[in-house]
Amino acid sequence: MVRNKKVGAKASVLAAAAALLLSACGGAGVDAEGSAAPSGDAAACGSYAIAMHAWVGYTASAQVITEIAKANGCDISQVTLAEAGVTYDAMESGSVDVVVEDWGGGRWQEWADRGALVEVGENGNIGLIGMFVPQWMADEYPDITDSANLNKYADLFVTDESKGKGAWYEGPPGYTTIGEKMISANELNYTVISTGSEQALIDVFTKAAADKTAALGYFYEPQNFLAKVPLARIKFPANDWTDAEQASGLTDYPESPLMKLATPKVMDANDAFTKIVKNFTWTNADQNAVAADIESGTDPAVAAQKWIDANADVVAGWLK
Amino acid sequence: MNVRTEQELTFTPKSIRRSWLLGGLFFIWIALSKILQGKATLELPVPENSAFTSWAGDVADSIRGNRTDGVAFKYFFNPIREFVDGFVNIIREFIAIPNGNSSIPVLGWLGVISVIGFVVFAVSNIRMTFAAVALTFACGALGLWTDSMDTLAMTFAAVILSLAIGIPIGIWAGLSNRVLKAVTPILDLAQILPTLVYLAPLALFFLIGPASATIATMVYSIPIAVRLTAFGIRGVPTSPVEAGTSMGTTKRQLLQKVQLPMSSRTIIMGVNQTVMAALSFVVIAALIGAPGLGKPVIDALIIRNVGEGFVAGLAVVFLAIMLDRSTSAAITKKDTFVPPSEADRKRRKLALIIAGITAIVGIVLSRQMAWAAFFPEQIDISKPVADASDAGVVWVTENLELLTAGFSKAVTVGVLNPLESVLANSPWFLTIAMISLISLILGGIRSAIVSATLLLAVVATGLWYDTMITFTQTIVATLLTMIIGVILGVWIGRSVSAERALRPILDAGQTLPAFVYLIPMLGFFGPSRFTAIATGIVYSIPIVVKIVGQGIREVPVNMVEAATSTGSTKWQLITKVQLPAAKKSLLLATNQGLIFVLAVVVIGGFVGAGGLGYLVLLGASKPELQGKGLVAGFCILLLGVMIDRIAQYMVARNSAPKQ
Repeated sequence: MVRNKKVGAKASVLAAAAALLLSACGGAGVDAEGSAAPSGDAAACGSYAIAMHAWVGYTASAQVITEIAKANGCDISQVTLAEAGVTYDAMESGSVDVVVEDWGGGRWQEWADRGALVEVGENGNIGLIGMFVPQWMADEYPDITDSANLNKYADLFVTDESKGKGAWYEGPPGYTTIGEKMISANELNYTVISTGSEQALIDVFTKAAADKTAALGYFYEPQNFLAKVPLARIKFPANDWTDAEQASGLTDYPESPLMKLATPKVMDANDAFTKIVKNFTWTNADQNAVAADIESGTDPAVAAQKWIDANADVVAGWLK
Repeated sequence: MNVRTEQELTFTPKSIRRSWLLGGLFFIWIALSKILQGKATLELPVPENSAFTSWAGDVADSIRGNRTDGVAFKYFFNPIREFVDGFVNIIREFIAIPNGNSSIPVLGWLGVISVIGFVVFAVSNIRMTFAAVALTFACGALGLWTDSMDTLAMTFAAVILSLAIGIPIGIWAGLSNRVLKAVTPILDLAQILPTLVYLAPLALFFLIGPASATIATMVYSIPIAVRLTAFGIRGVPTSPVEAGTSMGTTKRQLLQKVQLPMSSRTIIMGVNQTVMAALSFVVIAALIGAPGLGKPVIDALIIRNVGEGFVAGLAVVFLAIMLDRSTSAAITKKDTFVPPSEADRKRRKLALIIAGITAIVGIVLSRQMAWAAFFPEQIDISKPVADASDAGVVWVTENLELLTAGFSKAVTVGVLNPLESVLANSPWFLTIAMISLISLILGGIRSAIVSATLLLAVVATGLWYDTMITFTQTIVATLLTMIIGVILGVWIGRSVSAERALRPILDAGQTLPAFVYLIPMLGFFGPSRFTAIATGIVYSIPIVVKIVGQGIREVPVNMVEAATSTGSTKWQLITKVQLPAAKKSLLLATNQGLIFVLAVVVIGGFVGAGGLGYLVLLGASKPELQGKGLVAGFCILLLGVMIDRIAQYMVARNSAPKQ
């Protein structure tokens, strides 16, 4: 029974350690000297989680809100999630409180009806999605930017992945995309190639611009990348999106004001965070400026603070 | 699985006839598919739903609508969610997130490291203790202390809950044949189910957050705990059990005094495997709101930041090695039956007391001193690590572009596209008929019936075309995996030094989350099906190499010696003796390879591979396609079961005793 005795000794040491550990837990904490968050206004603002989405423009908006809220005593965490359904579910479960830039006009309705979230209003950015080619193609084939001529050039866009038709690089799964509908409505000789991430699209366009190869892909504004690698937007027949009947035969993406969403918790709290979320609005140029800093390697918090410092009066207005 | 020694060594007339039959069948298949190309492919445009998927979407909607008031939610799902969330958060407050009104967890970094050091020392040895402490510290040095602790907390929570459910079921299954028979198919299913599949349904019931992530992890790790516990109980030799019974011990005493102690080694191995399974879930669980190291990996994938993804992946590997080695050390320790001398025990006791005091000092310091509470920011090696991996990828992209692009093009044009045109772009009935005939030849009538039934079910869902796209990628990736895997497997099976050299790489390959190397693959190959295939290959090679190596090593020595003495060359020895003798291992490796590849090929949806994985992702973010996403997950499951069944029947047929 030698072995058993040893195990017994071990167990008793462990138990003693656990007891000491527990008594240690009851002792004072580090709070006195270790507390990093400003505690002065703690009562004035609650603790909230902001949803973070994949694109850098979103990061810019969310970070500016985060920094202002933190400066006003709110306890802010950032939660990375996929767009739309996943995020709305997270809002319903209470693990996320705010979306600062949603592109999908009204797809949250089902959740709003259940009281899981509230449509707060526009955030000031105007989103414009479209299909783009690198600028060199527009220069070389001036009529390519008219969707009616896309079939004429389809051969240029054939790859091993595109089944003998032109390759149509679609936006990532989480983004608002209608590529297949555009292709069938315009009877285009193209195959949709799904891209997993925005970065993959950026790679495609960067390579196409550098090597002067052909590429037709999804992109959108506001996006700072367009300032670095110029792209030309393909014009599709206009579409009246107010008419539901016509919208089913979608032919192009509309310009859409981007929206803020929040949980009832935020709207009812009436603290500094409620004000910031309700009043925050800025232009595409504002967002691009902050996004450019983040992309060039500046820490998002620093980039956001730089904008806040330069626009102190605007920020003060949001807090009223 | 027991490996038989008498193997089919020569090709019988029957097997020759079989390969002629297969060849003929392939010829007819290709010819017919050429003629009927593009007809009845059942391709469903991505934004459209089939009758079945829109029904599934409606069901999902009604489930969601019931969340607050539905009886099942009120009294079942919501309480479970709240319990699991609460449990996870208690553990997180201990080591990862601020506890109550405090700004730190119960234990600061020094406290956590002290506790880890003490526990590892108590269950194993001093060398392991230093290694565990160093590895944990390294996670902090990578700038990921809080995320690492979150992952550790999530892992612990999932493991504790998994063991609490898995061990009792395992004991029961170990004692009763009926129970074992009842749970085995469920365990099989849970293990071939690619993880991506059950995320969306779970999130539907348990919402996004730690609870869903923990439950998803448990789905994956409970079967392992059950299996190994049952296996351990069943492995207890009959004589002590009979002795106990004859002495009149009750069933309960028998279990407590004989069966459990004697199977404790296997049960601890089960704990080890459960921990590893839970940890391998880290990244994928981040998709449904798990806090921890998965988050930076997913972020890095989205912005294709190779360096950041690698740093986070490295932290996962460190935690995996730490947990794996310390639990394995506990097993080895249980193995030493030499009783320690009196002096040894005294020394050990003293060492334990000293270690305990050190740990307590660490804990107290971590609660009193800021430097011991918050991991020092000055210690940060993440940048050089990230830069080095970035530089590595840039170098490969720039210098090996001809090679990578050439290989990718060769596989895409030479194998992938032709196979896709046969499987996906031919009429569905042709594909089903041919696959069923092939499984008839390879696995017998039962395997043919299973294949036909499952494939018809896929047709009924409306996602036939996408399923065939995924199937094509799975087959191509498995073929390439087997070619590389068998070569490496034969190598390590024949050479001990090769085994020693490759082992750490294989181990790391098995613990590094696939998402981590998905990121550089995207850089190498762009958004394409090959990117998914390449990732699947990297993920499944380690398991294939290990199984093949093991099989080669188990070929009886006398067979090898006999061949060598008759003057066989090395090549003849490998192809005529060792590989045929290891046939069963090869089949098993193929089966495992297919299942592993399938699990990863579906995450290829993140990088432009299309198919079912893409639909799962699309369904998660587009409410109008949620039904399609759920059904796509179901089709992945059907595909997995079909692949597994064909392979199982093949194994059974090939190891049937010869007449």
